Amino acid sequence: MKILVGIKRVVDYNVRVRVLNDGSGVDTDGVKMSVNPFDEIALEEALRIKEAGNAEEVIVVSAGGDECQQQLRTGLAMGADRAIQIQTSESLQPLSVARALLKIIEREQPGLVILGKQAIDGDNSQTGQMLAALWDRPQATFASKMVLNGDTATITREVDAGLETIEVDLPAVVTVDLRMNEPRFVKLPDIMKAKRKPLDVISLGDLGVSVDGNLKIHHFAPPPQRQKGIMVEDTAQLVQELKNRGLI
Amino acid sequence: MSDKTTTSFMRSLCMGRIEQDCLFPFPVLSADQKEMLHEIAGALEGLLGSRTEDFSQWDADGDMPAQFIEELKEFGMFGLIIPEEHGGMGLGNMAYSRTLQEVGRYDASVAVTIGAHSSIGMRGLLLFGTDEQKSRYMPKLASGEMIAAFCLTEPGAGSDAAAIKTTAVRKDGGWVLNGSKLWITNGGFAEFFTVFARTGTGDGQGKMTAFIVTKDMDGVSIGPHEDKMGLRASSTTSVLFDDVHVPGENVLGEEGLGFKAAMQILNSGRTGLGGGSVGGMKHLIELSTRQANERKTFGQPISSYGLIKEKVGQMVVDCYTSEAVVTMVGGLIDEGCEEYAVEAAISKVYATECLARSADEALQIAGGNGFMREYPYERIVRDCRINRIFEGTNEILRLFIALTAMNDVATQLKELSRSMKGVFNDPIKGFGVMSDYARKHAGLRIRRGDIGKMTGLDPSIQPQVDIFEKKTRNLAQAADRILRKHGKNIIGKQFATKRLADIMIDLFVMACTLSRVQASIDANGVEKASREIEILKVFTREARIRIKRNFRRIDNNEDELLKALAVDAFEAERYRWDTI
Ligand SMILES: Cc1cc2nc3c(=O)[nH]c(=O)nc-3n(C[C@H](O)[C@H](O)[C@H](O)COP(=O)(O)OP(=O)(O)OC[C@H]3O[C@@H](n4cnc5c(N)ncnc54)[C@H](O)[C@@H]3O)c2cc1C
Repeated sequence: MKILVGIKRVVDYNVRVRVLNDGSGVDTDGVKMSVNPFDEIALEEALRIKEAGNAEEVIVVSAGGDECQQQLRTGLAMGADRAIQIQTSESLQPLSVARALLKIIEREQPGLVILGKQAIDGDNSQTGQMLAALWDRPQATFASKMVLNGDTATITREVDAGLETIEVDLPAVVTVDLRMNEPRFVKLPDIMKAKRKPLDVISLGDLGVSVDGNLKIHHFAPPPQRQKGIMVEDTAQLVQELKNRGLI
Repeated sequence: MSDKTTTSFMRSLCMGRIEQDCLFPFPVLSADQKEMLHEIAGALEGLLGSRTEDFSQWDADGDMPAQFIEELKEFGMFGLIIPEEHGGMGLGNMAYSRTLQEVGRYDASVAVTIGAHSSIGMRGLLLFGTDEQKSRYMPKLASGEMIAAFCLTEPGAGSDAAAIKTTAVRKDGGWVLNGSKLWITNGGFAEFFTVFARTGTGDGQGKMTAFIVTKDMDGVSIGPHEDKMGLRASSTTSVLFDDVHVPGENVLGEEGLGFKAAMQILNSGRTGLGGGSVGGMKHLIELSTRQANERKTFGQPISSYGLIKEKVGQMVVDCYTSEAVVTMVGGLIDEGCEEYAVEAAISKVYATECLARSADEALQIAGGNGFMREYPYERIVRDCRINRIFEGTNEILRLFIALTAMNDVATQLKELSRSMKGVFNDPIKGFGVMSDYARKHAGLRIRRGDIGKMTGLDPSIQPQVDIFEKKTRNLAQAADRILRKHGKNIIGKQFATKRLADIMIDLFVMACTLSRVQASIDANGVEKASREIEILKVFTREARIRIKRNFRRIDNNEDELLKALAVDAFEAERYRWDTI
């Protein structure tokens, strides 16, 4: 079985994100970029499945400009066997990404697709769901545990009410949550090995996927600054203060 | 255009020639190496990023756990500069320096452990090793099975490295080594030692030879772990050699050329320490800006105050310019330039002094908290203090920088006097007489033609180019003037020598920064490079004032008074004017 893992290049989670003065986006100039943390978890899970003898090949795929090859190389260094870059200079919305991934699925015929539950930049949490629908296969989102049993997978999902365990037929799309595993650290010799692994580049156009978005971003703004809090003596004062502010 | 591999930018500059091709365009990493460095940085974050508390604990303990050293080995940290075919990463000088920068952000003890191995411990093998020696040791050095140490210093020989007393005497086709080495980084766990020993009688630098000594040889022993001010977690010990039999094939490089080898190793390794210093500065800027934004006094964050802005602004200038210089030296080495010793020495002096200043100011910005162990500042101040002492003290390097240049100028003057046919038998003594001629000649040499010009730079930085050209003329004049004034006695005139060195340092930093800013303008346009242009402006203005002052004080100074005070104090060995 092949496992396909999605990798997105995002602003590193440690960076304090700054909105550009003209509101056209966030400042990524000289800013540290990383693999979306949820995608690292997805890849780690795929690698563990392979190491347990339940998969033959792990393929990482990313859609973006050539700079996203960096994140693909990180994926290869972690242990993926090969990488595919879906090349585009456009910033893609989830639906376009899902369409592009579907094309890759048609080529590669993976038995399992693992994605992050969301990317920490846009926080969309849509690509996995859309992909499953387009592919017409089962989906298991927000997974915190996955057990493969031949043609099916038992998956524990983190939902608002607690944990939910479901079984899906494979192939399926699984999107992973934070608690699924702890991704391994890359070592320097892994980086050397990764240099020799194949990284294929396919342009988005060649896949026949259009980028026309059904969503338009008008402008970016930083969240309002947090107001300074006050200390209250007791509940009565708390209630009074809330009333003063017209909050209750 | 001169041959880049055999031209030293600074040595030429001292004669008024601006060898622009040496420094332009600004060296950049290949896309491949850049990508790899991104990955290395990411991997290092995984290894070191979550260890802040450990580092401060190990500092308090004064030791690094063996388990962590094992982790470093497994991570591949000891193979950075070892060629791929021997199991390493094969990093070039620039990429290596950049990697140490990254390590230096996290912890100086770790950076020095790696640096002592790669920058100096095994660099001799890389530079001078035979193929057989390389294939014997490099795979083990890459995996960390053998960690390397550089053994030059002895109790009686630090700065004066040629005074070492360790001896190697021929016996049965090999050598017998006896002596003791002091303050050897990685001594506690090193298996591979590059050892310098005297192999001939009499003095002179030609009598020293470098050897590869391994821990398993009988008679090698290690002293106790030193209790230090900083870098407390890094291993520093003495290493003792008692009748150690070293096989003949373990001579490293040529017999008798050990001193030269030691200097070449140190020169080539300088970008490691330089990189570590730049990494330290970047970390300090992060710490200080956060600290200053958060801390409020008089109802305002302290980041709003001019005196705090002054400090942070200077930290930014120091970091950018240091990075320009260190990167440049790495680039020169990678391009195969052979004449970079002066430039490398400048990068070490400049970057380590910028780091010291940044660390001190960062601590000051943190106020009382800065003095507390709970915060990182005091440790950084302690850790970086050694940088100005080891791998050549900054005093010795300043002398080296200026005297090398002066030597060139003297040689040129000597040729000049020779062309005047026997008028001066001793060119150096003849300075007084020929000074007028020399002055005129120097003046012509400097003003004529394009030798003192920098061309093709963006108009937006032309004022800085003008300053550079003007100050280059000052430098050439200063070198001339100092030589004429002191002649052969220049060796004893350290005040003057230091001034020349400081002028050279400022000019080299200026040139590297010009190159870096120009590269940024080329890549992104003037508007996007505006901040960098501002950095250049600030540095250039400050440097110009310093150069002017140093230049003026060649003739007009209090050197003799100051020296007399020192001599008096040495005599008394106390302060004479107590008030009670
Ligand atoms: C933590 C640590 C790690 C070290 N690691 C290593 C290592 O791995 N390998 C190794 O071989 N060595 C190592 N050293 C030794 C280090 O390189 C020396 O300490 C350094 O070279 C200075 O020598 P010194 O201490 O003998 O000082 P000295 O040479 O005694 O100098 C004392 C002072 O006099 C000044 N001075 C000396 N001569 C002159 C002069 N001619 N003109 C003007 N000023 C002068 C110096 O600048 C200095 O300020 C290490 C030292 C320390 C503290």
